[in-house]
Amino acid sequence: MPSLRDTISVFRIHLARLRAEGGPFLLAALVFPTAMYLFANAIRGDAAEEQNRFRFLAGSIVFSLSLTAISWLGYLLLENRFAGRLKLFATLPLAPSSYVFGILIFGVAQSILGSSALLIVARLLGARTQLGVLPLTATILLTMLCLSGISVIIATRARSFSEGSLLTDSLGAGLVFLAPVYYSPEAMPPALRMVSEWLPTARAAHAVQAALAGNYATKDLAILGAMAIVSLSLGFKLMRFREN
Amino acid sequence: MRSRKPLSTTVISEVDQPVVEDLHGAKELAPAEDARAAIRVRDLVKQYRNGTEANRGIDLEVRRGELVSILGPNGAGKTTFLRQITTELRPTSGSVEIFGMDGIAAPQQAKRAMGITPQEAGVFETLKVREHLELFGRFKGLTKRAARLSTTKIIHELDLDAEANKRVGDLSGGQRRRILIGLALLGNPPLLVLDEPTTGLDPVSRRAVWNVIQRRVAEGCTVLLSTHYIEEAERLSDRIGIISAGKMIAIGTLDELLALLRKSYRLSYRELLDETQVCYFATFAEAQRYVAEQRIAEYSLARASLEDVYFELTGHRFEDEQAEESVLCPA
Repeated sequence: MPSLRDTISVFRIHLARLRAEGGPFLLAALVFPTAMYLFANAIRGDAAEEQNRFRFLAGSIVFSLSLTAISWLGYLLLENRFAGRLKLFATLPLAPSSYVFGILIFGVAQSILGSSALLIVARLLGARTQLGVLPLTATILLTMLCLSGISVIIATRARSFSEGSLLTDSLGAGLVFLAPVYYSPEAMPPALRMVSEWLPTARAAHAVQAALAGNYATKDLAILGAMAIVSLSLGFKLMRFREN
Repeated sequence: MRSRKPLSTTVISEVDQPVVEDLHGAKELAPAEDARAAIRVRDLVKQYRNGTEANRGIDLEVRRGELVSILGPNGAGKTTFLRQITTELRPTSGSVEIFGMDGIAAPQQAKRAMGITPQEAGVFETLKVREHLELFGRFKGLTKRAARLSTTKIIHELDLDAEANKRVGDLSGGQRRRILIGLALLGNPPLLVLDEPTTGLDPVSRRAVWNVIQRRVAEGCTVLLSTHYIEEAERLSDRIGIISAGKMIAIGTLDELLALLRKSYRLSYRELLDETQVCYFATFAEAQRYVAEQRIAEYSLARASLEDVYFELTGHRFEDEQAEESVLCPA
């Protein structure tokens, strides 16, 4: 069973990482998604409708979440494993779930930081929203849990650091661009459309878009919750401090 | 007699080698008393998925307050053995008890009684030394205050006072190794399991670590360590176990292990540009007679050491301490 004290200690250990490497983190979580927001708006031209602007902003928030949860957290988990730090945790009377929860809290804290910064930038760029703080917080939390579960799975199964980081990098960006986040579903081939609708990033984009209008996308949140349960359950099952 | 590995291309005669009385099977020379066992390992077998049998039925009992060193050549199965005791690796069969607790069924419970230094582990480079130790102290159930006090003591013991507020990433490899040892010491665990704790340390730091370990043993702590350094095993240990090819081939006090050699006097000498010659004799007088007969001018004559026992038992010399080639002489 996870212990609150152990979970907080794991979180604090990783928070020191953010203290030391905050710059590169902001670059990943803010600059890329902001650039994508500007790029998508520019492609649509000045006549971009308010609805599209919302979609692009929602897409950029999801992009930021995906980069934080899969690329960055995944990298961290892989580094802990392949640089021998996981071995250090394994010497302690620490439940693997405390370790995972500590990392998850760290990821959620980062995602809130990244999303808030992105909303401020979007506001400065003229985007007007009727933001629902609670719907957005719920969406961020569920999206992060779901995508972080994927990171945990990759970090436990990868045979090498390079294999794992290739996967996290590919999925961090790929899951966003394969979902109808920056473009409408109609622009996709029909077969891919069916699949992409069930990607967590697609559900997250719907939910963020609704949250930006002050609404709850109940169905999308429920699906994200179910996906989070599946991915985290698998991640917890695979995370072992004892080798066979 | 089992087969031997020659030291060099020179043919070595069987009679020239130091003779060990019992080479076969683990020979426990001083059996530990069951009720006082800190560690009790029975018939431990570890077979990896690729079929490699790293441990082949190892038995060991370590009494409370005892320091036992495990020696063995690279790949002998020392680390595999220790990793099963620390619960990091699941044994294929056999049992591991830590202070009577089942280390296989209840690893968390067993780990609460242990301070562990793995052979290879990474530290968190972005943390400061003090911060690193204090945070890990919390994992061991210490209160904030207790973690702070324990950290201060350990930093001082390991001579890391000047580095206390530096980032771990800015430290040398030896200093990082000392942090790993410090992490094991946090919370004063009754059992320390240290896998090659002083590897990579300079002689001064190594002695500082030895002092820390000896102090803990004097306070009643039990220590099981593996080492590559003969001197470390000789100086620190109450008993020394030798592992070869996955088996504990001998265990006992230093005197007991030395007593295994029938020829316990070691003569080494060099003739002009030849390789160093090594001969073993049953008595000092016999060795002196040989020196006179051969008219050897420069030589060293001493009691055989743990290294000679180790070589005889395993057929290997310690690589890092044997830069110079030597051959057994036909005495």
